Amino acid sequence: MQSRERISKTLTNTLALGVIWLAAIVTVGALGTILLYIIVNGIGQLTPAFIFGWPHGVNMEGGIWPTIQSTLYVTTLAMLITTPVAILAAVYLAEYAVQGRLVSTIRFAADSLASVPSIVMGLFGLAAFVEGIGMGFSVIAAALALSFLMLPIVMRTTEEAIRAVPKYIRWGSYGLGATKWQTVSRIVLPSATPRIVTGVILSAGRAAGETAVVIYTMGTMINAPVLPTQPGRVMPVHLMLLAQEGINLPAAFGTALLLVLMVLGFNLTARYIVRRSNKGMQR
Amino acid sequence: MTHRRLAAVLLVAVLAISHLTGCVGKATGAAQTELTVTGSTTILPIAEVAADMFHAQHPDLRVLVAGVGSSAGIESVVNGTSDIGTSSRDLKPEEKSLGLVDTPIAFDAIAVIVNPSNPVKSLTTSQVAQIFEGTISNWKGVGGPDLPIGLVNRDEASGTREAFSKIVLNGGAFDPKAAVLPGTGQVRSVVAVSPTAVGYISLGFVDASVKALTIDGVAPTEKSVADGSYPISRVLHFFTKGQPNPLSKRYIDFVLSDAIQQDVVRAAGFTPIKKGAK
Amino acid sequence: MTDSLPAPSVGEPVEPGRQETPTGSAGEGLSTISRATYVREAVLRNLFLVCACVAVAGVALIFLFVGWRGYPIFAKVGIGAFLGGGVWHPTQGDFGILTLIVNSLLATVGALVLGAPLAVGTAVFLSEVAGPRVRELVRPAVELLAGIPSVVYGFFGLVLLRPIVAKVFGGLGFGLFTVWVILAVMIVPTIAAISEDALRSVPDGIREASYAMGATKWQTIWRVLLPAAKIGIIDAIILGMGRAIGETMAVVMVAGNAPVIPNGIFAPFLTLTTVIVMDMPYAAGDHRTALFGVAIVLFIISMIFVASIRLVSRLGREVG
Repeated sequence: MQSRERISKTLTNTLALGVIWLAAIVTVGALGTILLYIIVNGIGQLTPAFIFGWPHGVNMEGGIWPTIQSTLYVTTLAMLITTPVAILAAVYLAEYAVQGRLVSTIRFAADSLASVPSIVMGLFGLAAFVEGIGMGFSVIAAALALSFLMLPIVMRTTEEAIRAVPKYIRWGSYGLGATKWQTVSRIVLPSATPRIVTGVILSAGRAAGETAVVIYTMGTMINAPVLPTQPGRVMPVHLMLLAQEGINLPAAFGTALLLVLMVLGFNLTARYIVRRSNKGMQR
Repeated sequence: MTHRRLAAVLLVAVLAISHLTGCVGKATGAAQTELTVTGSTTILPIAEVAADMFHAQHPDLRVLVAGVGSSAGIESVVNGTSDIGTSSRDLKPEEKSLGLVDTPIAFDAIAVIVNPSNPVKSLTTSQVAQIFEGTISNWKGVGGPDLPIGLVNRDEASGTREAFSKIVLNGGAFDPKAAVLPGTGQVRSVVAVSPTAVGYISLGFVDASVKALTIDGVAPTEKSVADGSYPISRVLHFFTKGQPNPLSKRYIDFVLSDAIQQDVVRAAGFTPIKKGAK
Repeated sequence: MTDSLPAPSVGEPVEPGRQETPTGSAGEGLSTISRATYVREAVLRNLFLVCACVAVAGVALIFLFVGWRGYPIFAKVGIGAFLGGGVWHPTQGDFGILTLIVNSLLATVGALVLGAPLAVGTAVFLSEVAGPRVRELVRPAVELLAGIPSVVYGFFGLVLLRPIVAKVFGGLGFGLFTVWVILAVMIVPTIAAISEDALRSVPDGIREASYAMGATKWQTIWRVLLPAAKIGIIDAIILGMGRAIGETMAVVMVAGNAPVIPNGIFAPFLTLTTVIVMDMPYAAGDHRTALFGVAIVLFIISMIFVASIRLVSRLGREVG
């Protein structure tokens, strides 16, 4: 009797673990399929002419440089807008805040912002920045809308980074007579910088891939914007339009591959920074 | 940190102000060097190539082209956001009194396409209407195999849809269960892959991956479109508010010139408006 | 540094949340920091507070602008008719979004049924089953999956998945089935990351106790760890649901966009998110207002999800 139970116990265990392995394999397999498919179909497109050329012709032949410039421009601008506000907000939450209704509200608001469907954010950007303030379709309108999307992410990662700084470092600083701000600005933040930078870069990767937010704030015109008041077409929007028209699939694959590489680049850079800082922190 | 934030705020403020003054500058009518052309996705390829060639000939002038749908194009020229609104459909009755001036720039036929493996080759206009209204929902109803029809429609922004609705359905309603796709190429690629699919696209985009049906006994060719015997055809329009302004006129004349008409329009699969046209 | 030394008691940490800086806490008579420094610290503190409130301002602004542009449709058609009307035919004045709501729910629930077990399984794998080297491979893979833009998912669904579904199941390949597969893969990283965190925060002692009693790994996972991490996993699933219901780009390319309730899982359908992206290019007047109305509904739905997570967490903590 006992050995039958043991056999069934072991059998269930093996089967269940097999299923769990299967889950992991399916997940990794899904990633692999998507990446492989895009790489295989897109790699042929990655010529310098494609990356640095302009689209022309009936079917958008040529290159996608204006979309690359638009993407980099709006992402950088959004980063510049979000980072100071998010860091200072996180400093408040981590160092100054008293647990109470205000802090609860702020956290609820941050979580809500993080969960807003991006198309709602896009319509918000349209109503508030493009039409409301009258910026028209422009890089700055898109950057502002994107920054609302990035704010909760950077706030959260910065707050965690600040909290991860050991308390004894602060005590040492206060013990030497520093004010709170001096401690925060000269001790805590510098020590948390790698993690903060990681958070910013990861959120930038998210911003670079946004479609719905940008299409209603930056427009769809092929343009390489120089001033932030100009419109442009970012890579995800270009991919969407190419896919919808369905006429120039090779260019679509090329755009998809470049976009994935860009986001991958952001992700890998962020990891690299964390890994390097971890090594540095090990004594 | 605070300084950086202040700088960011100042930067935004300066840019916002400069943009507003920039707007004022444009409104006071400095010589126009930038033309905005918005509208039909069908006309988009012609407009874009023409814009490129125009810019090559006049490097100081730029034409910005966007393809958002015929209705959006008409609306944007009415409210002044664009100089030229392109449309692959005629004006609706309520749009006729808005003071728009029409310059036709090409003919286009709408082909009804099916998968190459579909044995059906020819239909009447009324059969097509019944299919797209949903009354006939199986291929055996028109002499084909016993399979449900995979109906593919265009989005409501599409001028092609509008024109098809007017010419074939006579204003009747499309089957709401039909798949709604936002682009010509998508319709074509879906029909090319699914044996039971049927859709409609501009004749210019028909290629070897799909089969265009003969309608009422007339096959869609450039000749049958130009002489009017093919039943499902339409005019492609450039609309302006009132007579075209000087820059618009230059661009429109360029589009009507032989360089564009005989080469680009034909290459896009449309029929030139002038030579040999009605 | 400062111009005059304050004197807090050594070894007494200044906790965040207590009165701000080591001023005056050591009592009168001792020299405090200069007035300029005090003012500066106070100004800075308020500046940070303002920054933190930007998040609140953001939510308020979204409500304000989208609501202002969308509310006329509620006034015109009536909230009941808008939310409960089953016909969405804007060009004929029908603005009922009930069909869209139902479709969004159908898509989301199906995606969860497929994706949640997959995600929790992956989380269990990462937390309990995988060896360190395998973990180093799989966890970055999951994070990468999270980073892929939704338009790329949609594109992939359009060019690879849809033709396969069409070939295998007939029809056009659009519909709930295709959407479920794509959405499920998209929400796996979200649910897996949070579930893994929840599992990891279960103390090791509990695992050891379970093994000590002779339980197999699976028994430990199923009867001890998963129940212990239940709150976190539920949070993760709600978050995944929120993400799925708000997804636009991936869905619009594979759903087929017919404004009806699909009769079958291979028939085209339209959701709350895809209606906006399909109609916005040409919508005017009441139609445009109605789309903003849909956006407000979506926003409220997403906030309900966020509130539910907080509620579940709080309930979980109280029950212990």
